[in-house]
Amino acid sequence: MPDRGSHLGDAISALLDGELDVVDEAAVRDHLAGCDSCAAELRATQAVRAALRALPVVAPVSDLAARARRRARRERPLVWAAAAATVVALVVLAGGGQDDRSAPPVARLVEAHATADVRADPVTHLVPPALIPVSLELEP
Amino acid sequence: MADEDEHPVPDWEEVARTYGRFLYNVAYRLTGNEADASDLVQEVLLRVRRGLITYRPGSMEAWLSRIATNAFLDEVRRRRRRPVEPLLDDHEHVLPGGEAADVEYEARVLGEDLQAALSRLPDEFRAAVVLADVAGMSYADVATALDVPPGTVRSRIHRGRALLRLELSRA
Repeated sequence: MPDRGSHLGDAISALLDGELDVVDEAAVRDHLAGCDSCAAELRATQAVRAALRALPVVAPVSDLAARARRRARRERPLVWAAAAATVVALVVLAGGGQDDRSAPPVARLVEAHATADVRADPVTHLVPPALIPVSLELEP
Repeated sequence: MADEDEHPVPDWEEVARTYGRFLYNVAYRLTGNEADASDLVQEVLLRVRRGLITYRPGSMEAWLSRIATNAFLDEVRRRRRRPVEPLLDDHEHVLPGGEAADVEYEARVLGEDLQAALSRLPDEFRAAVVLADVAGMSYADVATALDVPPGTVRSRIHRGRALLRLELSRA
């Protein structure tokens, strides 16, 4: 609160914003009743405040969520590349198998690769992003 | 960042869907243009996605506005687009009242002029005014968002409005 006798200053905004307690509000209103300068500042501040609050809501021109999803995917290229390399390697392995008995070991390999920290793998890590399957880039 | 009451940070896609428009509007009023507003929204969603932000259940708008303001001020400081201006938070420097007594601003002039005037405010003052008058936050929430005492918030909001009056009277 400003001292008795001085002008209201930022108590004017606090009054308009409903941020004064009962005692301070009474004192501010009391001052306003006898002070043309503060009453004028109150009206001017009220006008600006009302104008700010009447500003139209600006709508985004693009799809913010879609852009964020694309960005989220771009930030995981090593993980995707490693996963893609794993899939490619397994397909090659599976295709190279001569009989059905190769299936159980491949399944175990898949599981081992799926649970391994792919980023720690010095080979898969080097797979260029160009190998990332297009289907991984589709919007959900 | 462990908080004493650990609450999971809300899902960022849900945030984008439900609060995207609100967030963009606040970002636009802070930055003053579409490209920067859009980048700021992305930065906020990124911070939410990384989940490194303290979250306490409460007003989602206030929480997001806080993240947006911090990201905005971080970016401003990084770019140093403006010379550092001393912030005059004390009462002595508040503009004298009365010269624009019965101003009634007309909506048609206002949108652009007011945004232009907002963009010319010192960043910390603009942040306080936008959080209060665009995001509709209480002084206590603005104080938390800006990490300054409530008295400073009150002073910045009032001085920000006074500077806007001055800018609009020049327009």
